[in-house]
Amino acid sequence: MTGLHRLIICVFAAGVCVVRAAPSWAVPSFARQTGMACSACHTVFPELSPFGREFKLNGYVLDNIKQVTGIDIDSRQTLSLNQIPPISLMLQVSYTHTSAPLPDSAISGALAKDGDLLFPQQVSLFYAGKIADGLGAFIQLTYDGVGDSFGFDNTDVRYAHHFSFGGANSNDHELILGITLNNNPTVQDVWNSTPAWGFPYSLSSVAPSPMTSAKIDSGAGGFGQSVGGIGVYAWFDDHYYAELTDYISAIRGGAHPLDSTSTNVITGNAPYWRVAYETRWARNSLEVGAYGLNSTVYPGNTNGINEPLSGPTNKYKDVAGDFQYQYIGEDHLFTALGTYIHESQTLDASAFYGFSTNNSNTLNTTKLTAEYYYKRRIGGSVGYFNLTGSSDPILYAPAPVTGSANGSPKSNGYILEVNYLPWLNTKLQAQYVGYQNFNGQNGNNPGGYDGSNRTASNNNTVYLLVWLNF
Amino acid sequence: MKFEYVVAFLISASVGIAGIARAEETPAEAPAVTMTDAQKAALHKTIETCGTCHGINGRSVAPTFPNLAAQTAPYIELQLHAFKDQSRADPDAQAYMWGMASQLNDATISGLANYFAAQPAAVGISGNVALVAQGKHIYEEGVPARQIPPCATCHGPRAQGMATFPRLAGQHAPYLLKQLLVIQSVLRMAPVMHGVVKDLSKDQMQAVVAYLESL
Repeated sequence: MTGLHRLIICVFAAGVCVVRAAPSWAVPSFARQTGMACSACHTVFPELSPFGREFKLNGYVLDNIKQVTGIDIDSRQTLSLNQIPPISLMLQVSYTHTSAPLPDSAISGALAKDGDLLFPQQVSLFYAGKIADGLGAFIQLTYDGVGDSFGFDNTDVRYAHHFSFGGANSNDHELILGITLNNNPTVQDVWNSTPAWGFPYSLSSVAPSPMTSAKIDSGAGGFGQSVGGIGVYAWFDDHYYAELTDYISAIRGGAHPLDSTSTNVITGNAPYWRVAYETRWARNSLEVGAYGLNSTVYPGNTNGINEPLSGPTNKYKDVAGDFQYQYIGEDHLFTALGTYIHESQTLDASAFYGFSTNNSNTLNTTKLTAEYYYKRRIGGSVGYFNLTGSSDPILYAPAPVTGSANGSPKSNGYILEVNYLPWLNTKLQAQYVGYQNFNGQNGNNPGGYDGSNRTASNNNTVYLLVWLNF
Repeated sequence: MKFEYVVAFLISASVGIAGIARAEETPAEAPAVTMTDAQKAALHKTIETCGTCHGINGRSVAPTFPNLAAQTAPYIELQLHAFKDQSRADPDAQAYMWGMASQLNDATISGLANYFAAQPAAVGISGNVALVAQGKHIYEEGVPARQIPPCATCHGPRAQGMATFPRLAGQHAPYLLKQLLVIQSVLRMAPVMHGVVKDLSKDQMQAVVAYLESL
């Protein structure tokens, strides 16, 4: 690789490695529609309680407000619409402080301001609730304070039908069958152990984050909000869940139809599968499950170079396991969450075009979280994350802050969080993210982890957040 | 029989009669109305919704949500009306049931009450033997020293309930304890019970609810 080529890669890596805040929403429009407090569906937002999971699986349609209705001459219902639209807003204002200032974006050797206030980090408008009997939607439009842009965010539109059958009273068994149309693998999931709604529920959108992630994960490498999928699911006797959803690329903006200027374009279909078992006893629930996503993509625009949407492809096979335990007491609430994602990458296209050294890589992600709240008012979380994978000096190239000097994606560390909720729909959060390794190593060596003398702990982040839903 | 017992019995009996009289005024006692297939389907859908928390057969998993199976129909109706008009205002009532009951009409309320009343009762869960025995004694004998009448007077010798006096047998102990506490603190209005539980200690409550859950 030439020096110029490497420089281009570095600059581009820095440019595209925009930290994405994890999706993180609970919406008062559901409360408006159901007439129920947040605590019915959430332990503490956005984590779902068993009832919240049922509400979502039933299609977001439970309503307890007056409806605008219509029937035809055969008494078939033609309309059942909330008289008050289930609209709500979310406002996040945040302050981020990294252990060491980040480099200036324009002047070499200069430093950016130490500490960053985002007012807002994010404002979202939601339509979240019923559209018709059985049909409901969670649609999020977001203004992003870093990008200074307004765009389409997480969306899950679903239709569900609830069956009960068996026995004299037709109540021995229950089955929900549903269809979901969504734009982010796992956004349709009802457990918080999967990536889209997983911990941390909010992250700084300016602090550095690891340079890659599995396709199914919510980090820099994920497919979130750049795909569209339609799937079917079944939920049987409040125990067994199965889903199959098929995704294709649905990249917003840029060239349409998608072409060589688009990045990571799925060719064919990308099937997502999910199975889970949940058991509930007294105030406890325990879920164990597995999920995965197979995708074949054209790299397209990579590191500033356009490659055609034909020829060799990259294949990503994600297989993951997860668990979630919840205890929801009157005063004490405890949750433990975890997931492990193994991604096999066959990088025929990247290797062919010189975007990677290896033809095949692996990427392994572990996330473990424990949360405790007292009376849904004050609490906190402890999270551990570990990302490891094959070393690939071109794929994981050096770049100030965002790159890797040793070609390894290895990043691990912990997240500590304290939350205070004066009301159920407001959260004041203080979060600390500490890194042991970042993009390959701890960086306590000549050149640092990025080849520019930055250490992993330089990226340790204090993040203060005011999070309002109304 | 001590004077206090006589007073307690008279109060309880009069309250019981009043409860029955009130029950007679409720829609449950109204002449049965034949439901159309569409109405039956709508009722079944509502039952499924209730079942999300209470169990579709009225036997719930989480003790936050009471078992409704074999509950007396007049009591279920009375409570649904109290949720709907927001006269029952304890924390969980507000959080869950004000919304859930807000759009229910009298016919649906009656249908729900009859459905859940007809479901087989939850099986009792045996608890600490000594605690259960203490609870049984309080339930059947009251606490004369504190002028607390026997619970059985209104709720029946096996806590099976009577008209608007709810069935308590097999009910989740944490739910019952919470109700006793919110009634004692007058967060939940229950005029008859206010006087009864006024001087009931938390230890005594725990004993009674352990006994009731074991039935």
